[in-house]
Amino acid sequence: MNAFELNEVSFTYPSGTTALREVSFTVKEGSSVALLGANGAGKSTLLDLLLGLHPSRSITLYGRPLTSYGRKEVGRLVALVPQSEQFNFSFTLLDYALFGRSPYLGSMQSPSAFDAQIAYEALEEVGLAGYESRAITSLSGGEHQLLLLARAIAQQSRILLLDEPTSALDPANRRRTLSLLKQLHTRGKTLFFSTHDVNFASELATDVVLLKEGRLLAAGPKEEVITAQALTTLYETPMYVAQTNGHSFMY
Amino acid sequence: MNAQLAYQRKIRRRRGALALMIATTLALALLSLFFGRYPKAGFALPLDWSTNAMTRRVLVNVRLVRIVLALIAGSMLGCSGFAFQMLFSNPLVEPGFLGVSQGSAFGAALMIVLGAGSTLSVQISSTFFGLVALAVSYVLATRFRFGGWLLRLVLSGIAVSAIFSSALAAIKLVAEPTKDLQDITFWMMGGLWNASWKQILSILVPVLVSQVYIISQRWKLNLLSLAEKSSFSVGVSTRRDRTLLLVAATVGTTVVISITGLIGWVGLITPHLARKLFGSDASVSLPASMVIGSFFLLVSDTIGRTLLPTEIPIGLVTSLFGAVIFIIILSTKSQEGKV
Repeated sequence: MNAFELNEVSFTYPSGTTALREVSFTVKEGSSVALLGANGAGKSTLLDLLLGLHPSRSITLYGRPLTSYGRKEVGRLVALVPQSEQFNFSFTLLDYALFGRSPYLGSMQSPSAFDAQIAYEALEEVGLAGYESRAITSLSGGEHQLLLLARAIAQQSRILLLDEPTSALDPANRRRTLSLLKQLHTRGKTLFFSTHDVNFASELATDVVLLKEGRLLAAGPKEEVITAQALTTLYETPMYVAQTNGHSFMY
Repeated sequence: MNAQLAYQRKIRRRRGALALMIATTLALALLSLFFGRYPKAGFALPLDWSTNAMTRRVLVNVRLVRIVLALIAGSMLGCSGFAFQMLFSNPLVEPGFLGVSQGSAFGAALMIVLGAGSTLSVQISSTFFGLVALAVSYVLATRFRFGGWLLRLVLSGIAVSAIFSSALAAIKLVAEPTKDLQDITFWMMGGLWNASWKQILSILVPVLVSQVYIISQRWKLNLLSLAEKSSFSVGVSTRRDRTLLLVAATVGTTVVISITGLIGWVGLITPHLARKLFGSDASVSLPASMVIGSFFLLVSDTIGRTLLPTEIPIGLVTSLFGAVIFIIILSTKSQEGKV
């Protein structure tokens, strides 16, 4: 079954800038898809469209047009891990993880103790248990990223959309995030993430989508799509693939 | 299981603290009934209330009515101030933010100089222009070609405020100096001395509707304080919910200030105090902000009508206290989630 199906999706901003032109590909249920492209290629716009932020009739979610879903219905199926979040109020870590429970609450409801349990387990999963009463404004960059992931885990959605999940992380936190996302994928979550880190993509993804200037350059299994030639075309700079201990490295 | 128990305990503790605050405020309200300048300055227990009609009139039609208005107005300003801060994701915002206060002030001043200065016409005009200011700010923000949505709202609010303040200044220039100008000045300083049961009844319905709606959406206020993408991704219809909450907060505020005049600092300061005591989660800190608003206005009004033989306008008292509390809050370390 396809989680997402995009059929000639185009998008032009009200300012007149065309960000996407006739992009078509599918995201299979249970797959892990990396979205690669240079800055300004349309990656963020594409993520926004999959989230439903800009309504598009050419996208289906589990076989139904995305536009036919209610907001909360989408929230129960698709969770977003933003690139970062600016915190203006000092919510506690538990408060923040609890925000992920919102799609399950009635319009006048606040979370129950049961929701708190799920949020706590999400914090536990990313290694932030024990800090649940701390203020989110006191977090380091790595913890910040883990907290964003915890909120999405608490959302218990089938699909995770991630916007450059490793862009602000040091190598240790990058590895931690990678192994967490691998675990989530193994447990059946569908992942769709944009990244500039080709090696991260190659480690985590089963499939890859290449986007260049708003057009689809290639989409398919990573072994077929990630080649030195394709990456060179994508980034317009020479890229190489090397093999070490059975792993491929791009540089 | 432990997390569930801990969460339940935390909620119970916060609710207990909130109930205590409500009880304290009500007790203070009762006590302030006996503060004033009659039969003597300061605190006096008028034991002759059952026989003396004057005493009864002072207690019920002068003091009680002001106390009730202080409680209602304080809770509304605390409520809308909290909502504005969350909706704009900015702890320095207050209801005057989108030109609402200046619009209301202009509306009130206009009625006063037009000679139609009956309480009702001032009330209607200030509410109307407060809403006009909100609507103009909103429409301008959709037209601006600069920055994100929130920044555009802020900028249009500044522009609309400036337009209404200059219009207000023009009205003051032509206002008849012995009466109209004084009325306008007193309205700008805020005061509850005009309070009557009729006025309270006239604002009760819009205030209650606004408060009940905002309280019912308190969890959503948390979510709307996040970046738009985040709140959208957890199932919030951001544009619609933000607009509805803004209108509710504005209507509540304008109808209140239409009879009290401008009362500064309550909407700014009480959300800070509430978050300091109860943490940022609006589930508890929104109701707390309302209770603190009531408490703050009650104390300010009691001081304003007791301290000197002439009344001190409540806006002056709230501004003085508000500024001092603001300085103290911002100078001390955050005590997040303490209660």
